[in-house]
Amino acid sequence: MVTNLGLVSTGRRRLIKAGAAIGGLQLASPFIIKARGETPIKIGWIDPITGSLSLLAVSEVEGAKWTVDQINKKGGILGRPVELLVEDSANDSGTGVQKAHKLIERDNVDVIMGDVNSAIAYAIMGVTAEKGIFHIVPGGHTDPITGADCKWNTFRTCNTTAMDASAVTGELVKKFGKRWFFITPDYAYGKTLQANFVKRLQALGGEFQSDFLPIASSDFSATLIKAKAYKPDVLLNNMGGSAQINCMKQFVQFGMNKDMALGGALFEMEAIRSVPKDAQTGWWTLEWYWNQPDVPEVKAFVDAISPAIGGRKPTARHWMAYVSIHAFRLAAEKAKSLKGIDLAKSLADMELPRDVSLMPGKVYYRGGDHQLMSDIYVGEVHPAEGDPDNLFTTKALVTGEAAAGSVESTGCKMVWPS
Amino acid sequence: MLQVVLFNLTNGLIVGAFYVLMALGLSLIINLSNVVNFAHGNFLAIGGYFAYTLTPYVGFWGALVISPILTALMGVAIEQLMIKHVYMRNHIYSLLLTFGLGFILQDTCRYLWGPSPLPLGIPDSLSSPITPDLFFITWYRVFMVAVVVVAVSGLFAFLKYTRVGIRIRAGTLDLDTVAALGVNVAGLRSMNFAVGSYLAGLAGVLAAGQVGLNPNMGDELIMPSFIAIIVGGVGSLTGTLLGGLLIGVAAAVTTVFWPSASEAVIYVIMALVLLLRPRGLLGEEGMLS
Repeated sequence: MVTNLGLVSTGRRRLIKAGAAIGGLQLASPFIIKARGETPIKIGWIDPITGSLSLLAVSEVEGAKWTVDQINKKGGILGRPVELLVEDSANDSGTGVQKAHKLIERDNVDVIMGDVNSAIAYAIMGVTAEKGIFHIVPGGHTDPITGADCKWNTFRTCNTTAMDASAVTGELVKKFGKRWFFITPDYAYGKTLQANFVKRLQALGGEFQSDFLPIASSDFSATLIKAKAYKPDVLLNNMGGSAQINCMKQFVQFGMNKDMALGGALFEMEAIRSVPKDAQTGWWTLEWYWNQPDVPEVKAFVDAISPAIGGRKPTARHWMAYVSIHAFRLAAEKAKSLKGIDLAKSLADMELPRDVSLMPGKVYYRGGDHQLMSDIYVGEVHPAEGDPDNLFTTKALVTGEAAAGSVESTGCKMVWPS
Repeated sequence: MLQVVLFNLTNGLIVGAFYVLMALGLSLIINLSNVVNFAHGNFLAIGGYFAYTLTPYVGFWGALVISPILTALMGVAIEQLMIKHVYMRNHIYSLLLTFGLGFILQDTCRYLWGPSPLPLGIPDSLSSPITPDLFFITWYRVFMVAVVVVAVSGLFAFLKYTRVGIRIRAGTLDLDTVAALGVNVAGLRSMNFAVGSYLAGLAGVLAAGQVGLNPNMGDELIMPSFIAIIVGGVGSLTGTLLGGLLIGVAAAVTTVFWPSASEAVIYVIMALVLLLRPRGLLGEEGMLS
């Protein structure tokens, strides 16, 4: 009995000592940091991995995975590992919104990134704004995201349609003429893109005809018949993903490349690789290009990422993912916080270092509208020369500021939470 | 403007002929087995991918012959493993099964051949327009229409003049009686599924030559097939023929006047047919129910 009491007594003392020790350790900051270090920072990534834009989305996801991997190898963000949670929006706004809710409410992500599809990116903005979650749109171009409907918590890495249209319109008019035919997808991206082209074309005295087509169209023969009858100087193929590729193929099959020039805002590397040589032509803008001999950081990036993406050269979509995730990292490290409001204030007007921007000019997320002011590569698409991915020659570099115009002209009136 | 409309009428017939080829295989399977095969578009994609893989070894023409046969064999295997088990159940089972199967086949294509679009090379002799004025009629499109005409004629002859074909037609009308007469209904259904898959594979090769390949191509092409069947009338292959041509022409002509509605117009036609003549243009009373 005595022995028993003694044991009980010893156990109680030990228990009290242990409790005190744990309490003391809880107050000691090194332990807290170590404990936090074991909890990953979660990035929720939403993109249309299935559907007609999957080609572009897959590149973005590849870029995101590689970037997160690299960041984790260097110690993560704020000393914590980074976890990437990828969801498929299936090229559908309703699904994208549902996935945003799931990532925020169930997975408790710290930031949302997405979507390639402008309409989905725009729809997700409603969710992230309501929840106060930091949101970066890596590759959805429609203007209102950083224009009339800009939000304090949303930043965009790719260009606006106004920037792309502004960068290339003058070159197309100068080289080919003022009579244009547009083939444009009938959704948010296409509508704003064409409106921006038309504004600039008409300012230069041009005229146009256009067809708005469903986003996932696969047959363009009917609209190409109309285009040929209009006898334009330039055909602007504004479609995206597999629709743009199919349109280009039919354009070449019908021999129309002998009658008119081709051009537009975006003919992304993923699409250029997928069309016949005859269709690898025209004047376009790229938002980033792998071949920049004057920027040594680009070569280091290309050499590092290529083995992880099948030996190919990275595209603008890989770059968008890379920049978006590093922007989040830089904002978190500057703010020493993961709160949406702190991240947003930290990133606004922050100039990105050259090893993140991978561009020659000054690159920063403009504080007034949260749009990345990045260089725009205007040039000519051509069949591969030497390297199988050497498909574009840059003829002019337009700064983001010159292409975007003032914050006031975008219609953005940033309202911060009180 | 008149020339543009006339060109688009012709173009619509060409596109419609392709819809017919896709829809006929689907229609065959629905008519005999009462299976709404939502994976039909993915069979089409698989047929195209088979051709892509085979072309370096046997050329385009060899792939055109072999790929549909491989697709038919794959169709029979899937029918035996999965689909035959839901023949006797409510339609919803086959619908859900093939809906899920479609996703599996799509992801299989993505896994095996990658997410990026792939080109299927066609012979140079087919890749140019027949005349500079008729620039939208390439020799490949002429060839495609010829294949459709041969395939449709062959199918109709098969159904009319061969013993198996006659049994398939009889089974479409009254499968219980056909079974009571001692016909091996299970074998008949397998044969029918094989023919339907063969047509999907053939359509896949032809589509790949025109627009290339991507794992989602089946999704993009399946709806016009369903609409062609509903407009033409479930149970009627001639109706499917008519339905395919009609929606092809409607979409092409709509593009002249209201391009953004070129996809919606085929749904409007379907809605009108269902409202005014629910059995379809040439369908028989009661087949839809």
